Amino acid sequence: MEQQESVGVLEQKYSRRTFIKGVIATGATVSSTGYLFRGSPLLGAATYQSATERLITLNVNGQDRRVDVLPHETLAMTLRYKLGLTGTKLGCDRAECGACTVLIDGVAQYGCSMLTHQVRGRAVTTVEGLEDPDTGELSVVQQAVLEEGGFQCAFCAPGFIMSMTAMIQDNPNPTREEAAVALSGNLCRCADYDKILTCAMRAAELARSV
Amino acid sequence: MAEKLVGTDIAPPDLRAKITGRAKYAEDFRAPGMVFAKLLLSPMPHARVRRVDASRALAMPGVIDILRADEVPAREGPREACLTDNPRYEGEPILAVAAVDEETAAAAIEEIEIDFEPLPFVLDPLDSLRPGGPNPYVEGNQFSGQDGWSEFKWTAADFEAIDAGLMPDPECPVEWTKGDPESAFAESALVLEEAIVHQSLTHHPMEPRSNMAYWEGDRLFAFVSTQSSQQTKFALAGALDMDPENITFVSEYCGGGFGSKIAGTTIMQVPALFSRKIGRPVMLRVTRYEENYIGRARPGFQSWLKMGFLEDGKCNAIDLIIVQESGPYGAGDYNTAGMIADLTYTPQNMRFRAVPMYTNTPPKAAQRGPGGAQIISMVEPILEKAGRELGIDRLEMHRINAPRSDVRFGPRDTSLTSVHAVEALEQGAELFDWASKVQLSGQRNGSKVTGVGIGLSPYTAGSRGRDGMMIIRPDGKLYVHQGIGNLGTHSIADTARPAAELLGYDWDDVVIVWGDSSRGYPRSTVQAGSQTTTAHTRANRAAAEDALRKIRAVAASAMGGSPGAYRVDNGRVSGPGGTMTLGRIAERAIAMGGEYDGHVLPGDIHEQTVPAAQMLAGQGLMGIARDNFGGEGSIYSWVAGFALVELDEETGVVELKEYVGVTDCGTVIHPRSLGSQIFGGSIQGMGMAMTQRWVFDPKWGVPFANRLYTARPPGILDVPPDLKWGAVDIPDPQDPIGAKGIGEPPVGAGAAALTCAVADAMGGRCVCRTPLTPDILLAEIEGRDRGFGRLDQHIG
Amino acid sequence: MAKIRDMIPAFELLQPTSLEAALELLDEHREEAWVLAGGLDSFDWFKDRIKRPSVVVDLGGVPELTGITDIDNGVVIGAMTSLTEVERHELIRSEYSVVSEAARHVATPQIRNQGTLGGNVAQDTRCWYYRSGWPCYRAGGNTCYAAAPQAMNREHCILGRSRCVAVNPSDTAPALIAVDAKMIVENSGGPSVYDAEDFFIGPAIDITRMTVMKPRDLLTRIQIPATWANAEFYYEKVRDRGSWDFQLVSVAAAFRKSGDVIQEARIAVNGVAPYPVRVEAAERIVAGTSGDEETANAAGEAAIEGARALRHNDYKIAMMRNLVRRAVRSVA
Repeated sequence: MEQQESVGVLEQKYSRRTFIKGVIATGATVSSTGYLFRGSPLLGAATYQSATERLITLNVNGQDRRVDVLPHETLAMTLRYKLGLTGTKLGCDRAECGACTVLIDGVAQYGCSMLTHQVRGRAVTTVEGLEDPDTGELSVVQQAVLEEGGFQCAFCAPGFIMSMTAMIQDNPNPTREEAAVALSGNLCRCADYDKILTCAMRAAELARSV
Repeated sequence: MAEKLVGTDIAPPDLRAKITGRAKYAEDFRAPGMVFAKLLLSPMPHARVRRVDASRALAMPGVIDILRADEVPAREGPREACLTDNPRYEGEPILAVAAVDEETAAAAIEEIEIDFEPLPFVLDPLDSLRPGGPNPYVEGNQFSGQDGWSEFKWTAADFEAIDAGLMPDPECPVEWTKGDPESAFAESALVLEEAIVHQSLTHHPMEPRSNMAYWEGDRLFAFVSTQSSQQTKFALAGALDMDPENITFVSEYCGGGFGSKIAGTTIMQVPALFSRKIGRPVMLRVTRYEENYIGRARPGFQSWLKMGFLEDGKCNAIDLIIVQESGPYGAGDYNTAGMIADLTYTPQNMRFRAVPMYTNTPPKAAQRGPGGAQIISMVEPILEKAGRELGIDRLEMHRINAPRSDVRFGPRDTSLTSVHAVEALEQGAELFDWASKVQLSGQRNGSKVTGVGIGLSPYTAGSRGRDGMMIIRPDGKLYVHQGIGNLGTHSIADTARPAAELLGYDWDDVVIVWGDSSRGYPRSTVQAGSQTTTAHTRANRAAAEDALRKIRAVAASAMGGSPGAYRVDNGRVSGPGGTMTLGRIAERAIAMGGEYDGHVLPGDIHEQTVPAAQMLAGQGLMGIARDNFGGEGSIYSWVAGFALVELDEETGVVELKEYVGVTDCGTVIHPRSLGSQIFGGSIQGMGMAMTQRWVFDPKWGVPFANRLYTARPPGILDVPPDLKWGAVDIPDPQDPIGAKGIGEPPVGAGAAALTCAVADAMGGRCVCRTPLTPDILLAEIEGRDRGFGRLDQHIG
Repeated sequence: MAKIRDMIPAFELLQPTSLEAALELLDEHREEAWVLAGGLDSFDWFKDRIKRPSVVVDLGGVPELTGITDIDNGVVIGAMTSLTEVERHELIRSEYSVVSEAARHVATPQIRNQGTLGGNVAQDTRCWYYRSGWPCYRAGGNTCYAAAPQAMNREHCILGRSRCVAVNPSDTAPALIAVDAKMIVENSGGPSVYDAEDFFIGPAIDITRMTVMKPRDLLTRIQIPATWANAEFYYEKVRDRGSWDFQLVSVAAAFRKSGDVIQEARIAVNGVAPYPVRVEAAERIVAGTSGDEETANAAGEAAIEGARALRHNDYKIAMMRNLVRRAVRSVA
């Protein structure tokens, strides 16, 4: 249903549709500048003489990405504003909602509550990295969600999907109660929890059958 | 034969984008040269800005400009502006600063020197009603367009009664009476009187109301988080005093609103105005902290209820007084509350009084089931209390009092198109097994006591008269243009189904066009009041009937025979002269022009639809029409909620074990989506009943509970593990599709089923306040001091 | 200066790769240095722009601080061990399950994955006046807003008040007290060992700190002696919601029994005082009994002896009493 995918006006305008599809998983920077910090002089020279190397290599969705990261920058901000990966959402920026959940070496954590410099050398996975980068085949969790029609407004969906992805690795055969605990760090204000749990159970089932 | 679309589960067309991270919400958009705005919020509950010195901020490298209150639209009286020099609540935006990055913008805010003149403030409406009490505005505490400001106080006698724990008999600016309540009370076998408090709580949609905007010449490109699309474009145009056709309005995904983003947001004006001023795209990322404040809250109620019942349990009289905490800019919940009380209990004799009071608390707005959810959660436990005292089964109490199809309610004797409240109750009772579960009432398991409760909740659920617009293009597909917002209800897709069915389309050949005004949308409802399902199944049906008529006419003109003899199915039209694909029909329609391809439009479509239709003219066979199906009476849906809880008497903790929600919402379009709306709304009601509230320190006028973890919306572990839903599925007879909305009725049902179940677990004791947090319940159980007054608001 | 509650102010980030290096850095920077563990406490302060250290020392790369080691006479947990690891560790689960239970109750799975045991015990209080940056005693000012007559203090203390009425919010603290854990605090001058209950200090000792630690100090490990291995344990946390929320009141208890009789007990309660409270009076009452109803009631009453409610938290007195009762009853 390609034509039904949302395409921003901007993308239509600049005819970058193909380019963007190809780089969603890799998240190559589509923005021309780092929005978050332009290195404004207000920060003072002293800070940048610190031991922290600003240009670092981050492993995101299986790819090594070179990116300029300030010491006090959070992973969620780096992903969203420097790496073009807006799938990870900012619901609260305070570890209170789970919308920014990413996997660090396969473990679910809140991207808003870690410094990017804390995850150098670790494998970072975001929702964009779940589908097969070559074939576009959805991950088992994504397939389960599609089958069960999960989520309403879906702002919480990427975070939940990451938590589900971690869950099926961690506990391949969960009870519904166990699945609820595994997902208890993700908030859904539409309160689609029942259906979300059904998706999680289906995901586990699909994963076991693979 | 094309597949059946109504009544089946079909994943919405946007789901793949949502689960792969492709779906873009407002804060996901980027524009070259984009700068960031940050807000300076008022630190005081009521103040006047005396002086602003932004010179140091503006001198900082990377800071671009500042936007002040005198640069934004403002109106007389208690009306919200996106920026103000006269903040009326702690947290109100005063000014905005734009800088090259967020860090610089934040640092710049701190460099601003700002001086305030503090003004008296009001948090609790009763404080302002007290003779000699403070006012929330310098000018007074009541405002009308005609008469301007005034001061409205109750009398010393009124407060003597209140302070003595009695129901006062005050003058109220809003009042209506039906029948003869005084005589009716005299005939009641049982009269119950209670003071009941329902606290205010923030909407907290998952997505804060970020937005981005830029201009190209006179043309505004706005990326807004909003519940509704089509009408928000016009709201924005109105606010900016510009031609709506000069706005490209993008809102493909909205991360929830629940009434706080109905036609966009007030703050959406800031990026538009700021970017016009500085000539750069402006992103305003709204933080959760800000969302607490400008993100709206449900009005709180402090009320007195007197309810009379006859021997057989029928409520025969209601006297209801509501004092509403309206925030600084007002809200309409109280009116709906009165109507819904009359509708749900059909007393025949009712006196309703209300005093909406401005307060220096965050702005109030409709929150999913405004007025209705509160009143149902407040009054259902009183109904059940009456049942206990009269020795009547509580299900029977709800059944006796629920309206039938001939009901007339409210001050204007409103009628309904269809009512199947009793069927919903009975179906719910069966699904829940009320007969067995009620036996568990009061049963002990260690320190835990079981309680069961029922909540019957109606809400308005439909409107009429919108426009539908669709095109069959030469590729043969049906393109349905929806001006509906995509806030998670799936209405963008589901309301197209009856139309697609009429035209014999398989769902794979239906394309939903939404989210970007440059593609053209017809005049639509706002996504509020649960009206979208009805309004747009009808509007799309009307447009489909128009398309069908035209298809037949084009077919007959191409192949001969009478148009009426042609049938559509599976992308083809067939009849006496032969068969053609709908793609070919579309080509013919373009060749024929006139009304067939949209060059000639019906005379009665809304003026706002015309430019959109004109944009699509000549691109295929156009179906376009106004919903003229008509109908009399209001359209309401119902949910009957049943809950089973366990209350731990040693800790006050309530464990929600089971919940059933059964709805009368007319024809079911999308079962799985319906179920999730019933559960979603019910759970929001449970959050309202159990954990969420605003908390203020009354001395400082400053709120706490302004973080998500202190606001406490329900998480996955707070939801009953055993959830079931059902639908009566009887079509509304006045509607060609028969579908009514569902968004709002479940909220009151979930809340009330819970407040009733908790009262049941407490042996019938009704705390008469929300939220029912463990501290309040434990204090009640232990007979200990609660530390606050019966009518106090903002406790937590 | 106008306020904004967003965007972490710049700091210098130091990421030592050994304990020695970490201690050296703390020595060098002293009060200027902020120790970063999991960050779940720290980032709140930074993002609110209330605390703005110029130097942040990230312990994430110090290998000596993570891991759980079975030792001769107990188990040692590195302070930077994640709460998830503590929760799931086989030895902790099987022999010191109260600690595993407590770790399991912290916040959410993601926070348990990122958060550390050391961070959980060293975390700052959540009094919402203090957390909003108000200039109270704890913040170096000279008043307590939460103790004022009209204040919103439902979550504040009923015991141990000394000008400040905040509570200790840690879930693992009472469990560690219940197993007689020792906290090893190091600085460049060497290690010091504290009994868990002495690690937490009240406002009477120092109103600006929750623990004994001062600038230069680092909590490096937590040692649980074998004393309470395989005892009977009880843990309960009462909170508003099923996840995220801090406790209203929580209890952790350990009982050593001989047959039906309790030989010795440890009972600790949190959420009721500025420090986790070890309820020795209750412990004495239950020793030598079977934990029957009467004993449980007496223990509960003893536990709340001297408790004084603020305006909105009277319920905590009943809640604390009931939780101690339940802890005792659980072993009968």
